[in-house]
Amino acid sequence: MTAFRRLLVAEMKILMRDRMALFFTLAFPLVFVLIFGFLMGGFGDASRSRIGVHIAHDLDRRVLDLSIATAGSMEIEAYDSIESMEEAVAGRDVDFGLSWDGTALLFVYDANRVQENFAFQQVAAGIGADFNLRRQNAVPAISMEPIDVGEVASTGWFNLVLPGILAFSILSSGLFAVSGHVTSMKSRKTLDRLVVTPMRPVSLLAAIACVRLAVGYVSVLLTLLTGVLVFGLRYEVSWFRFTFFVICGTLGTMGIGTIIALLVRRPASASHIANALAMLMMFLAGIYFPIEFMPGFLRAVSKGLPLTHMANAMRYASGVMDMAEAEFWAISLSFLGIAIILFPVLARYVVRPLRR
Amino acid sequence: MKAVLFISLTHVATAIRERVTLFWFLIFPVFMLVILSMIFGQIAEEREISFDITLVNLDRSEMDSSGFAARVTDAFEGLAGPTIAAQAPLFTLHQPGGAQAPADFLEAELNLLRRGRRAAVVVIPDGFGNAVLHGVVHTENDAQPAMINVYMSRTSIASETATEIIGQVLAEVDRAILIGAERFDPKDEIESRAHWLRQEEAETRYIDFLLPGIILMAFFTNGLFGVPGAILFNRDRRILRRYWVTPLSVPRYLAGFSLGHLALCCLQFWILFLLGRYGFGATISFAQPDALLTLVLAAATFMAFGFLIAAVARTANAGMATANILNMPMMFLSGMFFPVSGLPPLIMAIVYANPVSYLVNGLRVSLGVESSFFQPALMVLVPLAWIGLSVAVAARKLRWDVER
Repeated sequence: MTAFRRLLVAEMKILMRDRMALFFTLAFPLVFVLIFGFLMGGFGDASRSRIGVHIAHDLDRRVLDLSIATAGSMEIEAYDSIESMEEAVAGRDVDFGLSWDGTALLFVYDANRVQENFAFQQVAAGIGADFNLRRQNAVPAISMEPIDVGEVASTGWFNLVLPGILAFSILSSGLFAVSGHVTSMKSRKTLDRLVVTPMRPVSLLAAIACVRLAVGYVSVLLTLLTGVLVFGLRYEVSWFRFTFFVICGTLGTMGIGTIIALLVRRPASASHIANALAMLMMFLAGIYFPIEFMPGFLRAVSKGLPLTHMANAMRYASGVMDMAEAEFWAISLSFLGIAIILFPVLARYVVRPLRR
Repeated sequence: MKAVLFISLTHVATAIRERVTLFWFLIFPVFMLVILSMIFGQIAEEREISFDITLVNLDRSEMDSSGFAARVTDAFEGLAGPTIAAQAPLFTLHQPGGAQAPADFLEAELNLLRRGRRAAVVVIPDGFGNAVLHGVVHTENDAQPAMINVYMSRTSIASETATEIIGQVLAEVDRAILIGAERFDPKDEIESRAHWLRQEEAETRYIDFLLPGIILMAFFTNGLFGVPGAILFNRDRRILRRYWVTPLSVPRYLAGFSLGHLALCCLQFWILFLLGRYGFGATISFAQPDALLTLVLAAATFMAFGFLIAAVARTANAGMATANILNMPMMFLSGMFFPVSGLPPLIMAIVYANPVSYLVNGLRVSLGVESSFFQPALMVLVPLAWIGLSVAVAARKLRWDVER
């Protein structure tokens, strides 16, 4: 126990002195959140776009205005000619254009706004359908009433992305924490000196895990706070579940990271493998893109990734997604189980000097 | 000249032998190309998106002789079957079994929706058929449409998209009902047409938009990680010192290194281009002067940027850390993957200072797949300015040997 306490203090000092490691653990998730928060703030919401309107035929102008108004709170810019409206679309003064000449509704898009045109076309389809019904004074026979069942009044897709980013930062720091530190100790030959002391190998791994866990928890809290304060996101965090999952998730991914420490010799290699694994999982785990948008076989791959379940558990603990209580505990305890099994088993193989 | 060629060959061979380098230079860009074209390509072209939705018919209307609820059910069941061979249906439809009480089934399905296992739950309420019939028969303007409840989650893009598609399906059913009731004349229907600026027939395909971005991403990671990695690790491991005891001079080493770096960029370009062309059907042609010049300018800019990092970092590990810090902001705040218009001024300042923004936009403009976001002159001048700055700093600060 004395060895563990001393190692704990030593590990804390090492981390505090290693400004780069501290920066990556604390600030990297913040950078992610700030970048994606701004980029994804209005992702997919075309109902607030700017539409250029040219009406050559005065007939049905009022009807068309009503149809545009029902499509969302869009900014409307009127143009005298179709040419000036096309210029505005091409120059990005407006997002897309609509011309009404009394015979057809002509929607004008910039073909090169590939990432946004899908959403503009959805809005245009709604305007066209509504306009036709209104013109013939036809009241729709059926209508749809969307009812939100979300746990939290959503501010957008980013509400769900942020807990995913938290899960990703737990994964990436967990994968690298043990592997990077142990390989670094090996390459600096500090491990050579430690292993000749009566210290138990698992004490060293436990000390590394405890220090990284504490810093990781602070990082997760800071990131969440940034999301709330900067982007106005709302969460109903269950702090007990949240804290329990962060502990289990961090320890579990550190356990997986211990396998990396077993396989590589250099800290740079550990960092590259941890980075590569985390990045591959990030794009497949439904963090930024919904899993439903993936082809069938990728959806199956996604369900097999630890990050997918980590992100879902984090969303549940943050109150933005529902989940069966048993499923949450199963995920959390699985990660804890991984740590409990892997740490003692692998410690004796990992905590040994570099082979010469 | 022989020494220059030898150095360039060494650089290429080392990069290819290093599995880690190979991953970031080739496998990761290929992965990004595959994954993004599979996800966003199919969204844009509405190919293989598939949603798990639930349909519960609670209607017991006795007057519904026209079977309005059945029409809605038929419409969804039609979209739940495969429409094109070997393509997943739009909906995987979940409906209550014969022995299951609809109310219990609905409760269970709503729970699945909250847990993200369903994209939407469509409920035809009791009395729906009567309400439709009443609306069709009574022609006064204040008649209310019969409501169909669609339970969805606004925190999920998949749920929002599924709801939009469900809205379109219901609009089609509504149109058919109104035509049948002679409340809507299809002959008097106004046609909606799409006119695409810059392209003759349709919008630019996603793969044509994505491919240039992925190629530049590969060049970018090659320059950002490859250059400082090779220079600093070779310096710290005293490999460079061994070169300096031979007649090889620094300028000739640099020439060989740059040649090798450009050869690696060529390799990246061809692998990604061939995959994009034959794997995903990209149609863009890079065989035009503007595009080729932009590619060369991009390779040179990112290489110079790599030298800048090598010059300011004291050790190889510090160089890699600096590259890691810059990688994400520079890549994502450039319009490479997400649109950058409409960002707050502070973030836009980063976009405007970022050379990647100009090169990505410049390459896409030269290929005709994106409209110009910057002044044409800036697309060349800003990367050139970065090259100048990087070379100047590297010339002053880059150390070619370890400190004694």
